[in-house]
Amino acid sequence: MKETTFKSLKNLSTDHLLASGTAICAGCGGLEAVKIMYDILGKNTVFVNSAGCMTLLSVYPFTPFQGSWLYTAMACAPAGAQGIRDALDVLLNKGRIQPEEDLKVVVLSGDGSSYGMALSATSAAMDRNLDFFYLCYDNEGYGNTGHQSSPATPHAARTATNSGPFGYPGYKKDLFAIWTAHKPAYAATIIGSEPLDLARKVEKAMSLKGPKMFIALAPCPTGWHFDPRETVEIGKLAVKTGIWPLKEYLDGKVIHTKPPRRRIPVEEYLKKQGRFAHLFSPQRDTKQLEEIQARIDEYWAEAI
Amino acid sequence: MYRIRFHGRGGQGMKTASRILGTAFFLEGFEVQDAQRYGAERRGAPIFAYVRASREPIKERGIIQRPDLVIVADDTLLLIDAPGVLKGMTPQSVLLLNSEEEPKMWKDRLNFSGAVFALPDVQDLKEPTEQLHIGTVCAAAGARFVGVISQKTLKQAIQDELDILGNQIVEENLEQALRVYDLMEAYAGKIKPSSEPAVADYPDPAWIEMPYEDARISAPAIHAAATSLKNPTGLWRTLRPVIDYDRCHRCSSICSTFCPENAISVNENGYPQIDYQHCKGCLLCMEQCPHHAIESSLEHTKTLESDKGDEI
Repeated sequence: MKETTFKSLKNLSTDHLLASGTAICAGCGGLEAVKIMYDILGKNTVFVNSAGCMTLLSVYPFTPFQGSWLYTAMACAPAGAQGIRDALDVLLNKGRIQPEEDLKVVVLSGDGSSYGMALSATSAAMDRNLDFFYLCYDNEGYGNTGHQSSPATPHAARTATNSGPFGYPGYKKDLFAIWTAHKPAYAATIIGSEPLDLARKVEKAMSLKGPKMFIALAPCPTGWHFDPRETVEIGKLAVKTGIWPLKEYLDGKVIHTKPPRRRIPVEEYLKKQGRFAHLFSPQRDTKQLEEIQARIDEYWAEAI
Repeated sequence: MYRIRFHGRGGQGMKTASRILGTAFFLEGFEVQDAQRYGAERRGAPIFAYVRASREPIKERGIIQRPDLVIVADDTLLLIDAPGVLKGMTPQSVLLLNSEEEPKMWKDRLNFSGAVFALPDVQDLKEPTEQLHIGTVCAAAGARFVGVISQKTLKQAIQDELDILGNQIVEENLEQALRVYDLMEAYAGKIKPSSEPAVADYPDPAWIEMPYEDARISAPAIHAAATSLKNPTGLWRTLRPVIDYDRCHRCSSICSTFCPENAISVNENGYPQIDYQHCKGCLLCMEQCPHHAIESSLEHTKTLESDKGDEI
């Protein structure tokens, strides 16, 4: 594999493709990841967007994209991507479009869709070895409807459906493990606050054929309850505390691309967010905090 | 019937204000409608909510066309057309503002023939979305103006609506709301219920008659790229990031890369430029700039005419 062109932030484009003027919340961590990824994928990209926050990107007749956009129900964006890929292949075979006019097909789905409703369609698309990109912007809840819990919600987080004193009783589903069990061409976890890591991964995936699967942790000021100016800081803390491991899957192997050299306590990440405020006040919930920390420690003990 | 409209920004609690006032009316035995206008319910985005209350069954539907009372939690909304704060106001309507400026100034500036009042003693120099109790305060002021909601009922309504947020938050809000309710005693009953307007009084809706056409004409495909630029999301901003070019190191990538909105471009000299027509004011750029070359200022203090971006 050739060496990356993204050696420093200076290598990233400052001429961005994704236009402003959308109704997405100020300081959206998901939008940040989409914007950076779009710059690398380039203009010849068609987005297949299942219902979710990012539905607000294109509201007729307004669109922030340079090209086409297909809107699907929550469970079927990968099926929509298959249709577009097939149509493009037919056009290519008939010589009605030239190879340089070919489009990259990108599924854009939230965690409610990706971790839950669309799992079956995603699994089937990987089974068929569909040549596409999949970007899950994971804000750990049903963000567009008031932040109800989803299978991506972390343990103990308060959501609109877990407003009690203990927060969400379940545990965040390991979607990366489910995806990689399908042996796709490529899979990676990314985050907008680590643009170089993101750029290198997308660049690498672009050279591969088949399913290229991405999960971007999307810090969400609205649903996680923090000031929008802290989106990047909270994203960086997610990586430094090890709660969001940045990794990639290629040729049957998982590699951690940015393992925290010295992991800082997960508390530093949790206490910045209103959804975890009940773990610190009125009194400190030591048991829950220790459990969350222990799960992270366990993950890294196995990973390295 | 009482018709009350609340205007504010996402995050100020206008939906909650209308819930509280609606519940208070209900507890006083009124028939009530309370609704928020769905749209961009995003922090900082202009939003409104409204309450109708009557002793008789309410047959009116939809957005309030002729408000008796309009309560505005952020006075910057008065300077822009899009939120429609003054829509349907008559000389009998009352405007109640959260503003540092005198009501007289607004009355003249807006050339408004009805009465203008200011909320007492809630002004501070914080940005509007950080006035934590402003929604409850607006509801309390509304309750006072109609004069038919007792302090006890208001208290009950606030407890009912905010209960989910926990005791401490309920207590803080009660304190602020009841304080304002007491301070505004002199305004009790300023708003009188108005009668149902005749159908003929309603202006025609501003719709466009379109002939029945083939789908390709009536719902055309959009072939243009990046049309979202037509939406001036800069209206959402309550704080404005300002670049200090003397301190900017032209690293040219950090603010522009992290800005989720693509509202920071880099000019040919390598300096970043903020597109104030679209910047939503998240201030992520200010937090991330390694040279502290971006500062924030209150949007109030700027006029919208300066929204052309900085020239260097």
